Amino acid sequence: MLYTTRRNVLGAATLASLNLPAILRAQGKEPIKIGSALPLTGSQAGYGKDFDTSMRMGAKDVNDAGGIAGRPVEIVALDTQAEPQLGINAANRFIEVEKLPMFFVSWSAVVKAVAPIANRDKVLALNNGANAPEIAHLGDYVYTTFPLADVDVTKLARYMYDTLGKRRAAVLYINNDTGIDAAKLYRDTFAKAGGTIVAFEAYDPKATEFTGMLLKTRAANPDTVHIHGLTADTPQVIAQMRQLGMAQRVTSYSAAYNPKILEQLGPAAEGLIVTSLAPGVNDNKNVQKLLDRWKAEQNRVPNGLPYDQYQYDMVWLTKALYEYLDKKSTPATGDTLKEALLTIKEFELPMTGKMIIDGHTVNKPVYLLTVEKGAFVPLATLT
Amino acid sequence: MEYLATIGVLIAIYVILSSSYDLIIGYGGLSTVAHPIFFAIGAYTAGLLAIHSSLPAPLNVILGGMAAMVASVLLAASALRVSGDYLLIASLGFQLGLLQLIKNLDFTGGPGGLTAIPGTVTGAARTPFFLVVSGLLAVATVLGIRAIVTGPYGRAITAMRDEELAFTALGRDATSMKIVIFAIGCGIAGTAGGVYAYYFQYISPDQFEVLQSAAILTMVVLGGMGTTFGPVVGAILLLAIPRAITFLNLPPSIMAPTQGIIFTVLVLLFLFLRPAGIVGLSRKTL
Repeated sequence: MLYTTRRNVLGAATLASLNLPAILRAQGKEPIKIGSALPLTGSQAGYGKDFDTSMRMGAKDVNDAGGIAGRPVEIVALDTQAEPQLGINAANRFIEVEKLPMFFVSWSAVVKAVAPIANRDKVLALNNGANAPEIAHLGDYVYTTFPLADVDVTKLARYMYDTLGKRRAAVLYINNDTGIDAAKLYRDTFAKAGGTIVAFEAYDPKATEFTGMLLKTRAANPDTVHIHGLTADTPQVIAQMRQLGMAQRVTSYSAAYNPKILEQLGPAAEGLIVTSLAPGVNDNKNVQKLLDRWKAEQNRVPNGLPYDQYQYDMVWLTKALYEYLDKKSTPATGDTLKEALLTIKEFELPMTGKMIIDGHTVNKPVYLLTVEKGAFVPLATLT
Repeated sequence: MEYLATIGVLIAIYVILSSSYDLIIGYGGLSTVAHPIFFAIGAYTAGLLAIHSSLPAPLNVILGGMAAMVASVLLAASALRVSGDYLLIASLGFQLGLLQLIKNLDFTGGPGGLTAIPGTVTGAARTPFFLVVSGLLAVATVLGIRAIVTGPYGRAITAMRDEELAFTALGRDATSMKIVIFAIGCGIAGTAGGVYAYYFQYISPDQFEVLQSAAILTMVVLGGMGTTFGPVVGAILLLAIPRAITFLNLPPSIMAPTQGIIFTVLVLLFLFLRPAGIVGLSRKTL
């Protein structure tokens, strides 16, 4: 623990004064604006607002460290409500009004909607939260900094077969672009490993009652159940499973790595396995600092911590891209930023660690966590 | 400037949608909420033809409108035997059922939507081109509907709406008139869908859900149901206000509730002060 002593205060003041010229230099210049299209209102705002907060924390830290090539960073966040039409509006505003050569965007439907605009106007659109596999094929100016579903879902399916020895899997998924492709990936990987898919059932995104689907699944007698849904429906599916006496081990993906799920499910969450595409507190000491900061500033932990780690890191990734161009005295355009992204290729980021841009995809280790005594604890790291 | 032009394209498309909806609900008195599904039929038809055929874009847009028109006749021929609440339920069922179909078919892109719709016009002229095309279509729609409703056929439509029993007692066929109104309105919506698909190059089923029905209905009611320019005013206000509010550059924590509150207060104010709609009351006042 750090005590407030005269020596500590003097030390901190000296450090601050050493860094002061950089901060002052950064503040005096025209800011570099980072466009971020997120759902700040609507049903997905619980995530979107937290993502925005984490990105602003990243911006503050970059500014405190002297900014980007001596210029301060400013976040321009626009609300999409996770709706394609509002996403289009945000992208047009970034490009036409703010004149940004690059922007960040999340949620699969929104990424798909803005892709034609980014490609047409040759502006770099970076996905930093959606995981639909189709995002890898949306055009020359759409890249992802967030691993798509084919990274964690395939590794999870293999782990369930190879390590945990499960042989009969049921796959329950939400019938939208979050669920469909990822469920197919799980099904195909598990079957290819030698397992049997005994149930493959979709449910409506607006459904609140799952008894019929679960009774059918129970009759198929699986030894593991993979649920690929959203934060709103996944706990309901698990709760109704338990009510029907289904005690199978449940797996899900990174959206289920959320403290709210534990609150909602209580003991029914025990044994749940989730994925995380970012290192946890035991793997990276910076993550604990981020959590502490959230607790200090927001009085809680963020929704979807791994996603927040990516949001925080995107400011640092932007810093790396702009400083690369600055060294070459090249202006920042969609083309030059894209070239910087593909040339640098490997980024060492504070919260998510090493990120390797592999064309239009990103490959990362997958961290598995399980629920034990009401808390997420590390289970395995899959590389 | 291009940003404003893009909003202009969207406003023009929604003017077409709300005006054609007003023909059905405002002038024809047909209680339907399914207008977005005809918009979707036009959009998906034009989008799929653009991807899988070499037909020229204008023809694909027209075919989109025709597909919507055919679908509307199929719905109307059965649903218009009933009216009032039953028609409302039938139209809602049609919309939800067709959306489920779109979500579960592979060639429509499923719930993920239809991507990679080719752009017909490229370069700097693209948005101005679409602004002119959609603007001209909007003007043609408004003036065309005005021509219909102010003529003898229009008087027959309003007579049918206001007193159907008397109308049929005079030997007029109310059902065929309803089908014609429904087909014209839905065909126009389908054409707007075709333009939408070509301009935005991405469509997904979520864009045509019941929430969209509520948005178009609000445009018509707010502007003035059964008026020529009411839906135009409603579409402009409902699309421009939320976008204008974002330019206040408030922090997201304040912006999110502020946007909702300002928008809701404005809608409630208009509805309280001008219950017949903005254009509807101003006409009375004059």
